[in-house]
Amino acid sequence: MNTSSHEDPVVVTGIGAVSSLGATAESLWQNVTAGTRGINELSLFKTESHRTKLAAQVDTDALPEQFAHMSRADRFGCTATEAAVRNVPGDLLQSGRTGVFFGSSTGALFEGERFLHKLLHNKEGDLHSIVGLQNDGPGNAVAKQFRCGGPAITYSTACTSANVAIGAALDALHSGEVDVAIAGGADELCEITYAGFNSLRAIDAEPTRPFRKDRKGLLMGEGAGVLALERRSQAIARGATVLAELVSAGRSCDANHVSAPDPEGRGAIMAIRQALLEGNLSPEDITFINAHGTGTPHNDASESKALHAVFGDRTGSLPVTSTKSMVGHLLGAAGGIEAVLTVLSIHHHLLPPTAGDDPADAELGLDIVLHEARALPPINVGISTNLAFGGNNSVIVLRSPQHSMPHTLRSRGQDAK
Amino acid sequence: MTNGTNNQVVVTGIGCLGPFGLGFEALQQALATGVATTKDIDRSAGYHRKGSATQVAATGDQDLTQWLSEDAGRRMSQFSQHAVTCARMALDHAGLTEIPSERTAVTIATAFGPGGFTERLALQVLQKGGKFASPFLFTDCVANAAAGQVAIATGARGANLTICQREAGPLLAVAQAAYDLRMGRADVCLAGAVDELQPLSYAILDRFRALARPSLHNGKTEELPRPFDAKRNGYLAGDGGTILVLEREQHAIARGARILARVGDSARAFDPTAPRTGHGHDSAALATRLQQRLGEQLRTVDTVISAASGARRGDMLEAEILRSALPELPQILAPKSVTGEFGGGTLGSAMLALTGANFGTPQGCTQPDPTIGIELANGPIHARHVLCSAHAAGGVSSWLTLSQP
Repeated sequence: MNTSSHEDPVVVTGIGAVSSLGATAESLWQNVTAGTRGINELSLFKTESHRTKLAAQVDTDALPEQFAHMSRADRFGCTATEAAVRNVPGDLLQSGRTGVFFGSSTGALFEGERFLHKLLHNKEGDLHSIVGLQNDGPGNAVAKQFRCGGPAITYSTACTSANVAIGAALDALHSGEVDVAIAGGADELCEITYAGFNSLRAIDAEPTRPFRKDRKGLLMGEGAGVLALERRSQAIARGATVLAELVSAGRSCDANHVSAPDPEGRGAIMAIRQALLEGNLSPEDITFINAHGTGTPHNDASESKALHAVFGDRTGSLPVTSTKSMVGHLLGAAGGIEAVLTVLSIHHHLLPPTAGDDPADAELGLDIVLHEARALPPINVGISTNLAFGGNNSVIVLRSPQHSMPHTLRSRGQDAK
Repeated sequence: MTNGTNNQVVVTGIGCLGPFGLGFEALQQALATGVATTKDIDRSAGYHRKGSATQVAATGDQDLTQWLSEDAGRRMSQFSQHAVTCARMALDHAGLTEIPSERTAVTIATAFGPGGFTERLALQVLQKGGKFASPFLFTDCVANAAAGQVAIATGARGANLTICQREAGPLLAVAQAAYDLRMGRADVCLAGAVDELQPLSYAILDRFRALARPSLHNGKTEELPRPFDAKRNGYLAGDGGTILVLEREQHAIARGARILARVGDSARAFDPTAPRTGHGHDSAALATRLQQRLGEQLRTVDTVISAASGARRGDMLEAEILRSALPELPQILAPKSVTGEFGGGTLGSAMLALTGANFGTPQGCTQPDPTIGIELANGPIHARHVLCSAHAAGGVSSWLTLSQP
């Protein structure tokens, strides 16, 4: 197994986010640290025929006009990317050594639905509206818009998609294939997935309550989360601000059920342990967790068991949050926006709360951050977990930039062979 | 990497199905004829326009019971059925009766995912209402359903990836698997591509003018894919599946496995000049990236399993890249003329080229395009070093080398 012995670590030098809490990472951060929920009644499509009415829908009026001709998902992806690469020089972006690593599970499915609706009524839809219909739509839109000639690849592993993509970007930077990686994901709300999750009774009719005793399901959201990644030597050479270090990633599969998580969290345990191993980290190094925390009874119970298995006695005092309580579940883009929030938590030494008034489910035995954001120590190593349909599990580890770390922790990463 | 230990990756098994039938031998027989097995696309839903393409290289309903019980099959989309069938066939071909569960990964590419389930679910929701959505259809209509079902069927608990990058996906999937194996993250990986093409996807591809359409030739109407041919007017849409068993060489040797091929380096790039649903024109930049990544390996290439499919711009792009990147053009094969586009036929064809298999002249290729100047090879192909190439509509290119063991 390869471990993180890279002398030139991969760092985050830019972030971008689009969510129901605004069109920027700044508005997202301001809102989530205040515990503000971006939940609204769906207006994208009629909800009369659906069991629930709520979602975390993006207000497209708040988005820049520049990408208005695109599908929602492409537009979210390009808007978030533009912010993430704002400080990356154009010649570096267009050098042929910038790669795009994206996750998406819907592509432009909302526009696809409208197109199909017209076909069913013997009318022709607007072909241009579905150029991003396939799941690689947002990733391709970003690569084209920002003229990136390196690899462009889209992972579609349901709710782990963007998390997987960020791990793949880390590999491409470590291997020297690219100098800059645009990594994250974008997804949009649509009727098919909304109805699908409702058919499983997986959506809470009320605002979602991750890790609460009375949790009843998830809240569907949409948007994008994107990181600009590069090797530290390049970032320092060009005077870029280093927000965090992307240390490692881990992936696994439950091989158990097509939609339900392994009840004991066995796959999640494997993925977390692999991420720690590849980062040459021990469970004791981790200072907080941005959990998958969907708010479904099964996910939160299974994920809690995985955390207990990995972190043992420390679990009860390790701060855990689910930001899905405020921005909803962005499906293929969840790993993107949660990576952005993990970076911001490291940068600001602050962990957003899991919004909601109910007390935490004591049976889970977790230290859920409730009611208000919690201060973190100045040096942090955070993990972001995503778990998905198909028994898919993916985890990334981010930490404070190494130049600010104590030598003991820094050297553990440097000396491993 | 793995600190001086052998990190070579080899292919030890293959499972495939398509319009040609089930298995490696069925593919071999089809490629020897140079003729695609096609049928009329189902137009009953009314999605198709007058004058549109009519032929599809569809796998359809085949007897999978050797690999998948009827009970298990009923709980899956056709997409997942085909993936599980190919995976089990590949493991059987590799002689892997027992896999190292936590050290076995799955990486599958798909362009359309489970099209049939998705279309049925969409019709339920759009025509009847959201409350009529079937949970059964929904859980198996995500793009990674096939990879997940393969994991459940085989017990593979390692990384489980699904790559959606249209025509470039199959090569990207094998390259991803090889990388993870070299990094020591797994000992075995099931890697390849699966697709299920339904009338709705077909009708949309046709609206984007991607597909070969009926045209008059020598007084009769024909609708054939014609890679590198002067009369090409689109590709033949197809589906099916191809899954390879990739192993770290030391794992394969330790268990006494038969090694079919060695996986070499890979390259990938994006052409920002490409329209969202077509091919671009910056072949020089793509060729440069291919050379930068594969370097000297390109000098040893004696056979190209080409991306050429009959796409008007795509085939030209392919020719320009090959001419720029390779010191001289080796023998070139275009198996998508038989397998159709999608479903990973390229991978199976590359494996066959390494075994001396016979390739027939594609039925539609009678008049090489003089502006391209490539005549396809035929007869027994004794490849030692194969370059596989793929260029997806939208701008992504990928390349992969495979060699005799």
